[in-house]
Order: sequence, then C-alpha cells, then structure tokens
Amino acid sequence: MSTPDVDVIVVGAGPAGSCAAIVAARAGLDVVLLERGPFPGSKNMYGGVVYPRILDTLIPNWWEEAPIQRWVTRRSTMLLTDTQALTIDFRSEAWGEPPYNGATAFRPDWDHWLAGHAEAAGAQVLTDTTVVGLIRDPGGAVVGVRTDRPDGDLRAKVVIACDGVNSFLAKEAGLYEHTDAKHYTLGVKETLALPKEVIDERFAVRDRHGVDIEILGCTGNVNGGGFLYTGLDTLAVGVVLKLPKLAAQKKRPEEIVAGLKQHPAIAPLVQGAELKEYSAHLIPEAGLTMMPKMTMPGMLVAGDAAALCLAAGIWLEGVNFAMASGMYAGEAVVEALQANDTSATGLAGYQRRLSDTFVLKDHRKLHRAPELVLSDRVQHLYPGMVANVAERMFRVDNPHPKPGLRRILNEERKKAGVRRRDLLRDGWTGFRSFG
Amino acid sequence: MSIVACVKWVSHPGEPHDERFAGMSMADQSALEFALQQGELLGQPVTVITVGPAGADKVLRDALACGATRAIRIEAPTTAAGTDVATAIADHIADAEWVWCGDYSLDRGAGSVPPFIAAHLGAEQALGVIAVTLLGATVHATRRLDGGRRELLEVTAPAVVSVEGATARLRRAGLQHLRSAAAATIEVMPATTPIHRAEFMVRPYRPRARELPAPTGESPLDRLRVLTDAAAASAARGETVHLAPADAAARIVHALRDWGYRDS
Ligand SMILES: Cc1cc2nc3c(=O)[nH]c(=O)nc-3n(C[C@H](O)[C@H](O)[C@H](O)COP(=O)(O)OP(=O)(O)OC[C@H]3O[C@@H](n4cnc5c(N)ncnc54)[C@H](O)[C@@H]3O)c2cc1C
Repeated sequence: MSTPDVDVIVVGAGPAGSCAAIVAARAGLDVVLLERGPFPGSKNMYGGVVYPRILDTLIPNWWEEAPIQRWVTRRSTMLLTDTQALTIDFRSEAWGEPPYNGATAFRPDWDHWLAGHAEAAGAQVLTDTTVVGLIRDPGGAVVGVRTDRPDGDLRAKVVIACDGVNSFLAKEAGLYEHTDAKHYTLGVKETLALPKEVIDERFAVRDRHGVDIEILGCTGNVNGGGFLYTGLDTLAVGVVLKLPKLAAQKKRPEEIVAGLKQHPAIAPLVQGAELKEYSAHLIPEAGLTMMPKMTMPGMLVAGDAAALCLAAGIWLEGVNFAMASGMYAGEAVVEALQANDTSATGLAGYQRRLSDTFVLKDHRKLHRAPELVLSDRVQHLYPGMVANVAERMFRVDNPHPKPGLRRILNEERKKAGVRRRDLLRDGWTGFRSFG
Repeated sequence: MSIVACVKWVSHPGEPHDERFAGMSMADQSALEFALQQGELLGQPVTVITVGPAGADKVLRDALACGATRAIRIEAPTTAAGTDVATAIADHIADAEWVWCGDYSLDRGAGSVPPFIAAHLGAEQALGVIAVTLLGATVHATRRLDGGRRELLEVTAPAVVSVEGATARLRRAGLQHLRSAAAATIEVMPATTPIHRAEFMVRPYRPRARELPAPTGESPLDRLRVLTDAAAASAARGETVHLAPADAAARIVHALRDWGYRDS
C-alpha cells in the first residue's frame, strides 16, 4: 500500500471543514483542505444568522475581526395567517456588545474568513477541486480521496468529510443506513438591497444592531417556515419547505417566497427593495432520526454531512453545530494520530465529544421538535387558531362585555377543528422539547 | 528564456472591488495554453510573467500549476500604465523568442501592452489572433479584419502573439502540481524604469442616447432597416486622415470621445 501524501484531508471548506482544518493544522499535522468552489464560501448559502460562541476558544475575540453584517439584538417569532400576524418580539442591548450573541453574516465572507484561519494555521487550501470519491484499502478503511483533477488522487492517514448536506462521501462509505426525502427541507432565499437608514428605520435598530425574525404559517399548503434577517444594507427573506409536501403541492418555491413578501405584515418591511440574489439549498432537518454513523476506519463526518444541523422551529442553527463538530473531529483526529490508531476505536473520541457537548445534547433534547413544528396541526391549524384568539382578546366589542380567555380558546379550538386531546399532546411535546 | 507568457491579475467585471473573484482573463488563459503547448512541442521551459502587486502571485501560481516552469512578478500597482508595463516586461525578457499575451485585459481593454513589448524587443507581432497553429519553428496565426475578412500570418521568432479569449482552453492543473505550485518560489523583481499611473482609460463602448425619429418606409422590413441602421453601419465609421503623430493622437482621442468610448 502506498504511503500517505498528507496526514489529514478535509473535504469541504464550509464552517465544519475550516474549523476541523484549523484544529488539526495547529496541532502540527500536515493538512489539505479541499473545496470545490473557486474560493471558500463561494458556493455556500444559508438564511443569515450565525451564533459563534463556540469560536471563543478557537479564535479568541473573534468579534473584532469576523466579517459580520449586524449583531442580532432583536429576535422575533411571527405567526401568520393570510390576514393576521402575531409577533413575540424580544430585544437585548447586551447582544449588541462584546462578547455578543448572534450576528448576520454573508457565507462567502464568513467561510472565506474561517478558511483564512485554516491557511494561517498551516493547512493547504486547494480550491476548484471537487472530491469525487473515496480511496479505500482492501480492508475497507478510507485511505484517501479521488478528485476531479488530473493526477487527482490524494492519500492521507485520515479523511474528515465536511462536504455538507447530502454528503456523497458519507453515503459512499455506507455511513447512512437509509436516506429519505422527508428528512430534508429545501431552503430558498432572496437577498434584497435596501439603504441602511431605511432598514434601521423599518426594523427599529441603530448602528450595527440587527433583527432575526422567524415566521410560521407563511408557506401556504406546503409545511415549512419563513425567515427575515437584516444585513447592513440588505435583507434576507426566505422559506424552508418540507420536500415531499412541496412536490405534492406542485408549487414553485419562489412563488411561496413571493407570497411571504406580499403578506401585509411583511410587505411594508421589504417594499422598494431590489432583488440582488436568489439561492436555494437543502437542509438536513430530521436531526437524530437521520444521523449517520459518525466514524469509520480512516474517516469522520462532520457538520451537515453528518446531519448535525439543528432545525427546530424557532431555532435554525447549522453553522455553530458545523463549527463545533468540525473542531471536535479535528481534536479526535489529533488524538488518533498521536496514538497511531485511525481505526473506529482510535477515532471514537469524536463521538464522545459530540455526545458530551451541546452538539448531541441539544439534538437529544429537541429531537421531537422538528416533527412537531412541521406537523400539519402546527403548520395549518394552530397559527389561525392562535391569531383568532389574539384578535378576539384585543377586539373591543361593546356593548358586549369582554369574553374570558378560556372561552375564546375553546371556541377557536373547535372552530379550527383541533381536538382537545391533540392540543394537549402537542403542548406536552412542545413543553418537553422546548421547556 | 525562450517562451514567455504574459498574464495579468484582473478583477472580475461583475465584482470589480473584490479580490476573491480576481484572476486571469480568458485571453491570458489562452495565451498561457499556447505557450505551454509550444513549450511541449519545442521541448523548452515556459516562463510566466506579470506586472502587479503581491495579490497577482495568484495568477502566477495558477500558471505554475498548469506547467509553467518559472514565475516572475514585477512589483507595480494595478494602475500601472500600459507603456510602462510593456517596458518593464521587455526589460526582463530581452532574450525571449516567443511571447504570448492575451489580446487585451479585461479591466483596461486597450490592448497596447503586446505591441509595445514587440516594439521594445524588435520582434514580429501578430495581434488579436483568433486561431493558432503551432508548427515548430513557425506559427500560423489568423487575424480578424474588418468586414468579416481574415488575415493569415506566418510568424517566426522573435515574435509577440496576442490571442483572443476563445482561441484555446487552458488545461486543468493536476492535483500534485497544484500542491507544489502553492509552495513554489516566485521571483519578485523591481521595475527597471519608473512606473506611472495609466492616465488614458477607455471603457466599453456605450453609445450616447440620441433621439430617433419614427422610421419611414413602406414595409416593416424597410422600417426595421432604417431603425437599425443596418445598411449604413459600416460606412459611417471609416475615415482615413494623414496627420503628424501628435495631431493624429489628438484626433483619435477626439474620435473616441465622439463615439462614446470616453466621457471627457
Ligand atoms: C436556507 C437555509 C437557511 C439556513 N439558515 C441558517 C441560519 O440562519 N443559521 C445557521 O446557523 N444555519 C443555517 N442554515 C444551516 C447551515 O447553512 C448549515 O448547517 C451549515 O452551512 C453547515 O456547514 P457545513 O460546513 O457542514 O456544510 P456547508 O456549509 O454546506 O459546506 C460544505 C462545503 O463543502 C464543499 N463541498 C461539497 N462537496 C464537495 C466535494 N465533493 N468536494 C469538495 N468540496 C465539496 C462545498 O462547496 C462547501 O463549501 C441554513 C441552511 C439553509 C439551506
């Protein structure tokens, strides 16, 4: 068997790949980070909010250099019906100061910046290079990758697959037992340009402060959710759609985004904005239900490639889970190479780190949430029911006296066709997930 | 040093201020590909040269990854005038037999560097070439002339050939070459003569808005002809003037302004 060209190959310079490469290269390993795009981040999209707390140890004071658009100081959750909107709005000035909480950032900027740290740590970043397959030894262990370049084989002691959702490498290695379209959602997004002052005024923020709005009930018959985030002088507005429902409804995703933009609660916010970009991407939505085996001899899987994105209603966090899992994969590889053992046992430190940290703890805690949030009742019955309750609570119907909340709730529940039993069950599931 | 490819690090027209999109133009890529093919044919190494700031190392490394053997960067800002760029290059490649260039750069578009290099080297020049056949000691080149005509040239060394972007497709660098190019040495040299800022800039042709009367004509086709000026187009531009060099230059600048290539 030929000798390895390098210690570690990391496939994919997204947040997971770059963090894995930073950790491994800083430990003195010879690392190659392969990226199919012309530069790291060039192919990547997401909604727009990143929660970088996990970088505190990797890049201390990251906020002084990270390419952020705005610091998220307002978080809103909106329930929409065709004519109503109920919003829970939270804002915190503390989130607008170091050490901050979340930020809006463009992926081509964010990923490029992180990959710069990998390069500074000594990793070799090779772009325009697509990995097309794995090289395995006769025993089945991964010993390298095939790329689409001439003389494109590269051998390594360990491969870290960070090639994103629908990972061909994890599938080729047989790490996914089965894949199912119902485990994925399609995210589509429009980036709209608006002058900064107009955004500041419409969203009631100043300086670099920004807003994250998650929206439920805005996707018509297709189960999903929406979002609206503020960049410095752009808005990101989009929807996340359950794939089988989208296919069954024969709807175009851009129609659904257009519908969201026309909603009376959203239209004034996006009015006059110029469309700059339209993008779409899959999201591994099913959490624990779909996760693959994380390691095999010679290979680990991190980030979306390992379905580690947390998509649970009011939380759509993938980048922080990707960065963390990339870091833990990097640490486990360092440990394994020190022990000269890249077997599944040698790489077991990765699974242990995932299990002991927020990565799998949050997934375990919220494992019922994705299904609940995307269920027909939450999607199609509850928004109308809750909005009607609010409307009746706030409506002044003199000379009639104010009705009691319990009565309104009961009447609206019946009107919406929701059985008490289902409401209680969903409430309990929600409480156990989010409580 | 016998075969040289001159390449320029240019910004992407759609993202002029973002270095991440900057690289080699299609025309320079074609030039590099011919240089590499000629190197293989003649069994000679290929030197790649650029004039620019440190960021320009990227295009040199790309060229090394594709098979160039030596890379030289002459330190200068991106705003360097074409005449100075040509002088700086010519000073460093005095013994070159074949010099391959793109026909013009994406950002500046004047196409002046290749003929200036040829003038400095006292070499033959074949400019704006649309097809190339490499034949050992000679090169057959096809040039585009006005009115759809073609000119076939037999070029011998020493020569400067500038090619259009679609003439060749640059080979894809092998993985191992890509890896070693990242660590290869780039010879950074100062310019031998002062480098000035380009003062005369042209931009893509944008005709001025003008008022058009409703077209006259019997049939829709006649009206369309009048509207599109189809028949008159070639006659409108042609003009031969006999003037002293300075006056001729002034006349050209005037015409460029008149035709909408320059604002002032
Ligand atoms: C519409 C939408 C909205 C989202 N909103 C948010 C949000 O607001 N906040 C949040 O935290 N998360 C969000 N996410 C999730 C987040 O984008 C992902 O979880 C995150 O990008 C995962 O990072 P990663 O590094 O694992 O994978 P990716 O970011 O997908 O990176 C994979 C990298 O691998 C490269 N690659 C793939 N295949 C190959 C190959 N064969 N060879 C070489 N390179 C390859 C790709 O080009 C890419 O650079 C959203 C996702 C979508 C689709």
